[in-house]
Amino acid sequence: MPQVFNLSQTPVTAHAFSADNAQLATSFNSNDVQIFARQGAAWVPTEILSEHDKLITSIDWAPNSNRIVTSSQDRNAYVWQQTQDPSTGKLIWKPTLVLLRINRAATHVRWSPKEDKFAVASGARAIAICSFDPENNWWVSKLLKKPLRSTVLSVDWHPNNVLLASGSADMKARVFSAYIKEVDDKPAPTVWGSKLPFNTVCGEYASPSGGWVHAVSFSPSGDVLAFASHDSSISIVYPGGPTICTIRISSLPFVTLTWTAEDTVVAAGHDCQPVVFSGSEGGWQGVGSLDDSTSGKPAGPGSNSPVGRLNSAAFSTFRDADSRGHTSAKASSDAKLLTVHQNTITSIRPFETKGGRVTKVSTSGVDGNLVIWDTDSVNALAGRVGGLRV
Amino acid sequence: MAETAFRKIDIDIYDEDVLQDEELVDADPRDPVQVLNDAKQRQAAVRSALSRSDILGALNTVLENAPYGPNVEEAKTVTLQTLLTILNTTKAAEIPGVIKGLSQDNQDTLMKYLYKGMAMPGWGDISGSVLLGWHEKLTEVAGTGCIVRTMTDRRTV
Repeated sequence: MPQVFNLSQTPVTAHAFSADNAQLATSFNSNDVQIFARQGAAWVPTEILSEHDKLITSIDWAPNSNRIVTSSQDRNAYVWQQTQDPSTGKLIWKPTLVLLRINRAATHVRWSPKEDKFAVASGARAIAICSFDPENNWWVSKLLKKPLRSTVLSVDWHPNNVLLASGSADMKARVFSAYIKEVDDKPAPTVWGSKLPFNTVCGEYASPSGGWVHAVSFSPSGDVLAFASHDSSISIVYPGGPTICTIRISSLPFVTLTWTAEDTVVAAGHDCQPVVFSGSEGGWQGVGSLDDSTSGKPAGPGSNSPVGRLNSAAFSTFRDADSRGHTSAKASSDAKLLTVHQNTITSIRPFETKGGRVTKVSTSGVDGNLVIWDTDSVNALAGRVGGLRV
Repeated sequence: MAETAFRKIDIDIYDEDVLQDEELVDADPRDPVQVLNDAKQRQAAVRSALSRSDILGALNTVLENAPYGPNVEEAKTVTLQTLLTILNTTKAAEIPGVIKGLSQDNQDTLMKYLYKGMAMPGWGDISGSVLLGWHEKLTEVAGTGCIVRTMTDRRTV
């Protein structure tokens, strides 16, 4: 059974766990980061990190160096580090400035695997690759610009600490080299290329029907790239051919995805449930949903219809008014969605890994909930997201 | 009420490097004249398919490689006309079976034409109730994802 935590009445824009999963950093559609600590079965708010002066868009928590990086619409990013307060002796989070040099909102941020760099996506058609400058005690950035033509919505690092994938509103997913001479050793050749000076474009892949690319992710080995776009599709790229497996889904678009094994991806978004896909270079298909929305809840009208949310309470109210002349608002009984999340899922992240497989993932949603799912309990999609075809 | 007027300012005119629509989509490689000839030939093929009451065949003919993009307005009009003759002559009971027989590509293209038709009320043989009937059945088969793709795809028909 998924564990559900209601953290807030407002949307959860982003979430990140500490390495031991005992702490949680979230942002509730505001300028502040709220830190929670796990106490038994509950999450208890502990500290608030205030420095940004516009909405926080993304949070990432480095597992080994225990640093938090946040990005915001105020065009800034901060690296937060725990230091001892000289007067009270308590550990508090202190921000370090990052010189991003972008003139639009920062939209997404991720630490590199070695935690010596991080990438900030932005609306300035650029990705800032940041590394630490010990002389001045701040983070400096180098911008990836070409050939980005629009806002970058997401970034993801390759395990070799050099390659970076990006998804952008110009409807393309790209793979760049983010090699920084001062930080990185010369990378070994990968399937994406062998010569990798900064800003080398190793791949460019368009979404099948022209949707913004909301999410990108490298597989655990880094040899495969998955991206989800706003044309209700998910694409898996094998760079050799290149072979691109595209699955067009019959429900609303995904906005976030993560790999759980070399052959499995979990994606979630406007359809409010995490959906599992699996396959290999020969072909990919939808396996099922982690959300068992049929058990324990009354099956509402049209719960098995592929039309999905079209059969919502509002829809049936208008339909009844039209076809039967009913105007009474009796729809309150089925105003709840049948899924665990009651609104769009904003972010999905690996939560627990055992033997190289991600066994649990966490999702945060616009409904203010944080949910932890077992990736093994996949439920057949029945008719709900039926019609999945490669 | 928050101030919203600033959202309507066209900031792109101050940007020399603004993103143009044509950069977002690969143009149709075919020659416009050839596209138009294709569309006319298909119209004839569809008529003969309809006379054999092969609705699925007729739909596949008209939806496969349908014209898209700029400079092919006439071919698009011919294709829409052809499609409307199919839609208008199909019996309501046959619609679900026909739609299930279409490929996913063709389902997406059909949805594009349904929305194009609904945006042109009173044009040619457009009948709102026929289009809505097809729309309902197509959504039952192809889901809301099909509608989302119609809205996002820049390869407009």
